[in-house]
Amino acid sequence: MIVPTGESPAIVVGAGLAGLSCARALADAGRAVIVLERARGVGGRCATRRVHDQAVDFGVLFLHGRDLAFLAALDAVPATALPGWPAVILGAGRPCQPQAFAPGERRLAFAEGVSAFPKHLARGLDLRTSARVLSLAAGPGRGSLGVELEGGGSLSAPTVVLALAAEQALALLAASPLSAPFAPALDTARTLLGMVRSRPCLTVLAGYPLSAPAPPWDIHYPEASRVLQAVAHESTKRVDPAYRAMVYQASPRWSHEHLGDADWAGAMLAEAGRLLGPWASAPTFFEPHRWRYARTELGAELAAPLLLTLPGGARLGLAGELFAPGGGVEGAWISGRRLAKRILEDERPDVAPRGATAEETG
Amino acid sequence: MSEATEPFRRLVERDQDHDCDGYGPAQVCVRVAAVADLPTRVGHFQIVAFYNNRDAKEHIAMVHGDVIGAADVPTRLHSECLTGDVMGSLRCDCRDQLQEGLKLIASMDRGILLYLRQEGRGIGLINKVRAYALQDLGLDTVEANIALGFRDDERDYAVAAHMLKSLNVTSVRLITNNPNKIKQLTQYGVAVTGRIPHVIPPNDHNRFYLETKAKRSGHYIDYAGKPRLVEQSDEVMVDGMPAPGEAGERKPSS
Repeated sequence: MIVPTGESPAIVVGAGLAGLSCARALADAGRAVIVLERARGVGGRCATRRVHDQAVDFGVLFLHGRDLAFLAALDAVPATALPGWPAVILGAGRPCQPQAFAPGERRLAFAEGVSAFPKHLARGLDLRTSARVLSLAAGPGRGSLGVELEGGGSLSAPTVVLALAAEQALALLAASPLSAPFAPALDTARTLLGMVRSRPCLTVLAGYPLSAPAPPWDIHYPEASRVLQAVAHESTKRVDPAYRAMVYQASPRWSHEHLGDADWAGAMLAEAGRLLGPWASAPTFFEPHRWRYARTELGAELAAPLLLTLPGGARLGLAGELFAPGGGVEGAWISGRRLAKRILEDERPDVAPRGATAEETG
Repeated sequence: MSEATEPFRRLVERDQDHDCDGYGPAQVCVRVAAVADLPTRVGHFQIVAFYNNRDAKEHIAMVHGDVIGAADVPTRLHSECLTGDVMGSLRCDCRDQLQEGLKLIASMDRGILLYLRQEGRGIGLINKVRAYALQDLGLDTVEANIALGFRDDERDYAVAAHMLKSLNVTSVRLITNNPNKIKQLTQYGVAVTGRIPHVIPPNDHNRFYLETKAKRSGHYIDYAGKPRLVEQSDEVMVDGMPAPGEAGERKPSS
């Protein structure tokens, strides 16, 4: 049993954007935070992979937002920003986040890859990677909540934050043997999480020789494809790329229908060939990636993160792109920060939000 | 073209190039975008439509009488409530509060009702219905309501403050039962010179306020057994019901 030390410590499960932004804000306020991430690296869907020594963004294709604090956080990343990427867009298909192209929205990428952002947020945090949380449990004392790790370890703290996809958070709660007094709070969390479904996104990243035809755009949103929603001309983000990299992302519906297929990557490459020319269907190499919980459906997001006070006083927080209007990287970041703010304010409302007004007046 | 509309048309013209640093954390900047005569069932108004630079929410001011450059203007802030305002929902008292607010303003020399759009962008309305659903399931909704954005008033005051400034209102008397709202509006530089309690007359649907005592502050259960929600940023006061706060609270403060 490792108990984090320091004043009112917290455990954050999930080192995606929401978890990192929450942990960052808590750590900046002087709180002890441990971040648990089941993968080897941070960032979740804000993912960059080095393929043949070249960075490839294969989840989030670029960053965008309008929230001033979020934009300031992006500006603080010590990486080579590519402001305005994607500069050239082809096609009238629907982007995964149409608001990315609304007036007033800022867009950018990083030459080092979009993961420069989560990596920067994670700097200096007590981060445990390859740490898979199996379940939650009542803590050793009243007022604390424990997490059980794969391999036998456990941790506990007065505040535990789940910054996971809704389905993953639900699965974790379902696997948690928490006693009856916890039921009302957990039922609320389960019901809220159960109101939405994450959409999958089948992705293929493909490499071509530099002699392959160079598409004169950065992103293509084909309007006449049932298969592909977005094609990123990925290597235009790189300084001096060694090969041409394309990233193909399938539409939510097609992804959903073909999640279990054997050769969905082949079907996507064939579609790429149909859209871009035969060269696109025959890359030098390719890597498929199945994003099972790629995004929250737009319009399904909740308005704010959830912070439940459990019997005994321990608190369970939920953050993620689901917990902020607009979703996406910006929503995830905002939800994490808002949750941290609530944790720090030690806000424990005993009355409904509107009732709070009455309390202030009384 | 009504004579009353003319001064507002000048504001529309003035604001065509208006672009300031905005109000509040979101730096909201609004412009007077359009104005027209709007006779209503409760009186004659000018409807002033505002453009804002942050989202697609089109806020409205319902204006009665001469308010441009005026002081001590009776002002009511009403947050959009589709279920109440339009559908006549009995889960809240928004419709009564809106109608009575407009009536009160129409009965005075001058006054403004700012109709603040809360439920745009899909998020508000879907989540509101979700909040109702959770309540019907009997779940603990206090926390859920926060997550469902039910409701975040911070932005109202910034937008409202800018709207009042755009109308060149020098000071207001706020029609509200919530003195705290005055504080918040003042923070955005609005001069509030007084408070007018917003008391709605009893009717078949709200009479239970007079008959039942709130269990917790603001928690009334209506005849249908549903909690009546406070969706505007102040408590409902039905004429004849005991004030929620101290005894003197219902007296006008000026």
